Amino acid sequence: MSAVLELDDVAIRFGGVQAVGGVTRTVDAGDFVGLIGPNGAGKTTLIRIIAGLLRPDRGKVMLGGSDVTGESTSARVRAGLALTHQIVRPFREMTVLDNVILAAGIGYTSGPLRALLHVSRRREAERAMEILGSVGLTGTERRLAGELPLGQLKRLELARALAVDPKIVLLDEPLAGLNHAEASRQVETIMEVHRRGITVVLVEHNLEEVMRVCRRLIVLNNGVVIGDGDPWEVMANPAVQEAYVGSGMMAHAEA
Amino acid sequence: MSAYTISIVSIIGINVILAVSLNMISGFCGQISLGHGAFFGAGAYAAALAMVATASVPLALLAGVVAGSVLGILVGFASLRVRSDFLAVSTIGVNFLFVGFVRKQSWLGGEMGISGIPPTGFGASGNMIMILLLACATVVFSLYVSRSWMGFAFRAVGEDEQAAATLGIGAGAYKLAAFGIGTALAGLAGALYAFFTQFITVDAFDFILSVMLMAMVVIGGIGSTWGVVAAAVGLTLLPEAIRFVNDYRLLVFGGMLVLVIRLAPGGLAALVHNLFARTRKA
Amino acid sequence: MYYIDLAVTGVSFGCMYAMMSVGLTLVYGLLRILHVAHAAVFALGAYVVVLVANATGSIALGFLAAVIVTPLFGIAIYRLLYEPLLRYRPDVPMIASVGLLVLMQDAFRIMFGEQGVTFRQNALSFTTFDFHGVTISAVQIALIVTAAVVFAGLHLFTTRTRTGLGWRATVSRPKIAASFGVDPVKVRYLNFAIGSALAAVAGGLVALLNNLVDPSIGFVVSYKALAIIVLGGLGSVRGTLVASLVLGLVEAYGTIFIGAWLDRDAIAFLALIVLLMIRPQGFTGARTA
Repeated sequence: MSAVLELDDVAIRFGGVQAVGGVTRTVDAGDFVGLIGPNGAGKTTLIRIIAGLLRPDRGKVMLGGSDVTGESTSARVRAGLALTHQIVRPFREMTVLDNVILAAGIGYTSGPLRALLHVSRRREAERAMEILGSVGLTGTERRLAGELPLGQLKRLELARALAVDPKIVLLDEPLAGLNHAEASRQVETIMEVHRRGITVVLVEHNLEEVMRVCRRLIVLNNGVVIGDGDPWEVMANPAVQEAYVGSGMMAHAEA
Repeated sequence: MSAYTISIVSIIGINVILAVSLNMISGFCGQISLGHGAFFGAGAYAAALAMVATASVPLALLAGVVAGSVLGILVGFASLRVRSDFLAVSTIGVNFLFVGFVRKQSWLGGEMGISGIPPTGFGASGNMIMILLLACATVVFSLYVSRSWMGFAFRAVGEDEQAAATLGIGAGAYKLAAFGIGTALAGLAGALYAFFTQFITVDAFDFILSVMLMAMVVIGGIGSTWGVVAAAVGLTLLPEAIRFVNDYRLLVFGGMLVLVIRLAPGGLAALVHNLFARTRKA
Repeated sequence: MYYIDLAVTGVSFGCMYAMMSVGLTLVYGLLRILHVAHAAVFALGAYVVVLVANATGSIALGFLAAVIVTPLFGIAIYRLLYEPLLRYRPDVPMIASVGLLVLMQDAFRIMFGEQGVTFRQNALSFTTFDFHGVTISAVQIALIVTAAVVFAGLHLFTTRTRTGLGWRATVSRPKIAASFGVDPVKVRYLNFAIGSALAAVAGGLVALLNNLVDPSIGFVVSYKALAIIVLGGLGSVRGTLVASLVLGLVEAYGTIFIGAWLDRDAIAFLALIVLLMIRPQGFTGARTA
């Protein structure tokens, strides 16, 4: 199996606090990884470093074998990374369809000159319709994204992430704020994404769903990895239980 | 055509180029620039110097475009570093700096400006036709840009840079492109203005002009090429048609700016759009 | 002695900039709006001072009238122009504000003439004091003393009184302040009222200094004030004070050194643009969250 994402001794401090302290991990093609940990464990910080929204103090981030540590978020997306935000960020003044077409046009928008020389959107529109169908947003295409309820916006985020044709998607709490029915529908879609051969890294508080769908679990605590492997084995690990009992989340996991 | 008509039509053409080019920066790409007069002025001065030195129209046009876009790309780099409200202040600053700098330069004629710019040789109507052709070309180009993937990406960058980045769109390159294109066209307008008047002083490029141009963009409907063209034509003719408006130009423009934003933030374009939507429903 | 004269000029201008800018920076802190029309308030203050002083013969009455009229005007700008536009991106109210300034400036020109208005009796403008060769005018002293009194008072108000504490809390932590029962709308009114009154006082003092109020009085000052509040780290009163004084001094001395190739009025923007290139967050970087 080839590595899609590699982290080599990635670390960052905020003021005096070690938010992420030397994480070295490899995610292989086809993996379905859950990244969990108690509040303040450094999950979101690590995701932001992988996405290029934060620059680490030391260490390297590699995508598909090439070092992207110094690259911008947009360059990483063009290199095969897709991400959804914890707080949805659609283009509210564009239609739902345009939001996805824009993502599907990543081949044209890589640079201004290329973008200036291309006009036709037909192919991208067809792909966008298909993707909107696969996430269950058929019928909302012509509406402004700003008018959609949260549950549908979360699906729109996923649709846009798929439209950039990624090798790996980082999903930052894609279930947060959804009711039970919406959440399980969203999980189905994520599993469908994985079945298409896209590597998935999922950050999620909903441990029940994480345990159900992930094939591999990475547990962070105080910025370091304290568990990595098969979800049930990892959760049986005393160090992991200790971390979770300390924050009172085990109860939630078993509930 | 009377000399008066020719001069009015020429000024309309120049204002259309200026307003449409500002709309590319502020309307398409969402980068509020309140210093468009500086790029217009840089183009006018460069073209004037080139005309005085070589008397070649193509060289003067090129000098105008280059001067406008070089200054514009410099300011574009500033836009990469500062937040949007800082950018508005910085561009006001660029306008004041430009005026304050030129006023003190003896090689640019200082307060007196540059007079005796050689004629293009096309005559007043020839100049007017050249201005109109270039204004039409600018409008066509603007319409094309807004339909292209560039215009699409501009809208994304203008609305939310971070969200654009997650779709692989690097905001920096697009902002520079918007400033580069918009200010090159402002420089072009500057060269045409130098041909038209054959005499320039720095007061023609002050901050008030930049506000007038922003008024055209906002009143026409920010982002809408046709709305902005209509506003540029209308707001140029208005003071000519109505004497009261000519005497109280700033009062009227300022008042319209306030009223349009307060009552119809989408400008003319949105009003027309809504009207059509309503008649269709009815 | 010349250099000391320049320092006095610099500090007195700095004080004027500070009184003008503090209202601007507080509006930004509260509403995230660049209140460009603050300059129109400044000009209105200057006109009220000169007109009332000429009508009544008392400059003090002129100032009194100005600090009554301009707060009402400032509040009206907020109620009628900004409040309905708060839901749009901050560029929208800012452009409306620019429009209002241009409109007001032309209105002053139409009503009171291009040439402006001078004081009929203004002994203050021509009174100077001589301290061992350093010449200080009465208006310069008035600028410095007024600014000192105003900022000391403002400091006491925001640290000792309930209203003042609520105001400060709302600027820095609007949600927390609201949860403690501070009415954010009242704070905005207070903010516009005090900021406008200070701008009016600054405008009146500048009118005395030049013995003239003309339609363009607020124009250049307004953009300098914008530069100052950005330099001071938007929303920070202390940063604004420092930036104002520094700008006053830099202008006073800069006029000798770079006046040959750059207008005095452009110096502020040169400083602004250089600083923004080095530190995009402003001088202090201490922006209120």
